[in-house]
Amino acid sequence: MAKYAAFSRVAVARAGRERGDLYGRVAFFAVILGVFSSLWRAAAEAGLCVAIEPRALVWYLAVTEWIVLSAPQVHLDIQEAIRAGDVVYRLGRPVSYVGAEVAAAFGVLAVRLPLLGLTACVCAFAFTGWIPPARAFAMAVPFGLVAAALLAALHVWIGLLAFWLHDVSPVYWVCQKLMFVLGGLMLPLAIYPGVIQRIAGYTPFPALLAGPASFMLANGGATPAALARDLAIWCGVTAVGLGWTFRRAATELTINGG
Amino acid sequence: MTGSNRLAFARALVATNLKAALALRGAFVLQVAFMALNNFTFFVFWWVLMRRVTTLRGWRLADVQLLFGLVAVSIGATVTVAGGVRHLGRLIEEGDLDTLLTQPRSVLVYALGMRSQPSGLGDLLSGLIFIAASGEVAWSALPLLLVALLASAVVFLACGIAFFSLSFWLGNVETLARQLWEFLITFSLYPEPLFGGVLRFVLFTVLPAGFVAYLPVRVVQAPSVPLVGLLVLGASAYLGFAVLMFERGLRRYASGSRFSTFG
Repeated sequence: MAKYAAFSRVAVARAGRERGDLYGRVAFFAVILGVFSSLWRAAAEAGLCVAIEPRALVWYLAVTEWIVLSAPQVHLDIQEAIRAGDVVYRLGRPVSYVGAEVAAAFGVLAVRLPLLGLTACVCAFAFTGWIPPARAFAMAVPFGLVAAALLAALHVWIGLLAFWLHDVSPVYWVCQKLMFVLGGLMLPLAIYPGVIQRIAGYTPFPALLAGPASFMLANGGATPAALARDLAIWCGVTAVGLGWTFRRAATELTINGG
Repeated sequence: MTGSNRLAFARALVATNLKAALALRGAFVLQVAFMALNNFTFFVFWWVLMRRVTTLRGWRLADVQLLFGLVAVSIGATVTVAGGVRHLGRLIEEGDLDTLLTQPRSVLVYALGMRSQPSGLGDLLSGLIFIAASGEVAWSALPLLLVALLASAVVFLACGIAFFSLSFWLGNVETLARQLWEFLITFSLYPEPLFGGVLRFVLFTVLPAGFVAYLPVRVVQAPSVPLVGLLVLGASAYLGFAVLMFERGLRRYASGSRFSTFG
């Protein structure tokens, strides 16, 4: 584990140095929450017929965006390493390539999650003048941390597809869009039509976003036990998927060369 | 270099870029299709929301569709024709303008036209579908729509030039410029009445989402001579300011001692 901790430490140092990127994310986060707080106010004026308070919707968005904006786009780095052939040198190290990438992604998360979490709280409070009950935070924060880690691992898996695909961006875009609709990025899934809610139930996206964020709503859909079970299942599936994909890639590299 | 020469040169650059993009046909189609899909997916949010409320401070779903369409076409046209604008900051910062300075062509036109983003065609395509589906544009209003689209794209491009030209004075502003560009897109995609006070002033000046989105929508929906005049004047002013800023900045440009050539 010490070897992987070293990869995390390096990533922490690197992420801390990239201040422009960090502040950019903070500013973008603030703008998005500002826009949406205004949008929900307008929707409430227009008689938005859902049993959710507009201010709770702003906090809901604060949690979903906190998770999404914190997750590093590690797939781009992996794709670059594969395209440039650097991956061959990394494979020779006495550590798992996938493990090292995941550890590095967690390092970036360690820098972004606290800062963006603080931004979420400050901005959401500034725009709504309200703070959800402490119990909501006690649930949303730990589940949000696990969800962000799972999302980062998913990005690593997307990056590994670069062993076969020329460009993994389309896969990433699809994942993003699915997260948008099936994950309930901007609106709780309860507001979506029934068919979308049913389809979402078969994917990891609700556990990644809507689940942790729904604790901010008075009548949030997720129960802690169900969400913990879903996250555990999808973490397992992702871990198996990562291992299997990398083994296939390594076999092809051995047979066909890099 | 005369205006017609510049246009002919820009046309040649766009044609060359398109040919280069089409050489990788699969990747090209994928990028176009995914960008269109991206825009349609984002619109699901509005579709779901507007099923719950009929209007948002006077805006109906069709109005949002028109706004989306206008902005998508504007962005698509900009990054397809002048995709180099997003790389302008890096060219300046890393001294890569050297190779363009030796060419007997306008440096700005060359820098803007040397790249083209195939995904821009996806924006164009989806934008046109949004506009058509909004049902807010009659055939007789097509000339006005064209004026609105052109003005919107010009303002968008001008902002890109201005944001990335800050590199001449401030050095590495890549993140800041990209962020400003993203903010401009973000604010352009939401109905105008959502924003008031100081922010509204900002959206018609520093981050002119007003000229990229709100005014063009008003021109298409309720055209009047003063409105069209204001839009055209605004677009010309932003472009004039951006070109002036680039030209001024170019005088401060420090060479990167590059000896390679493009093309």
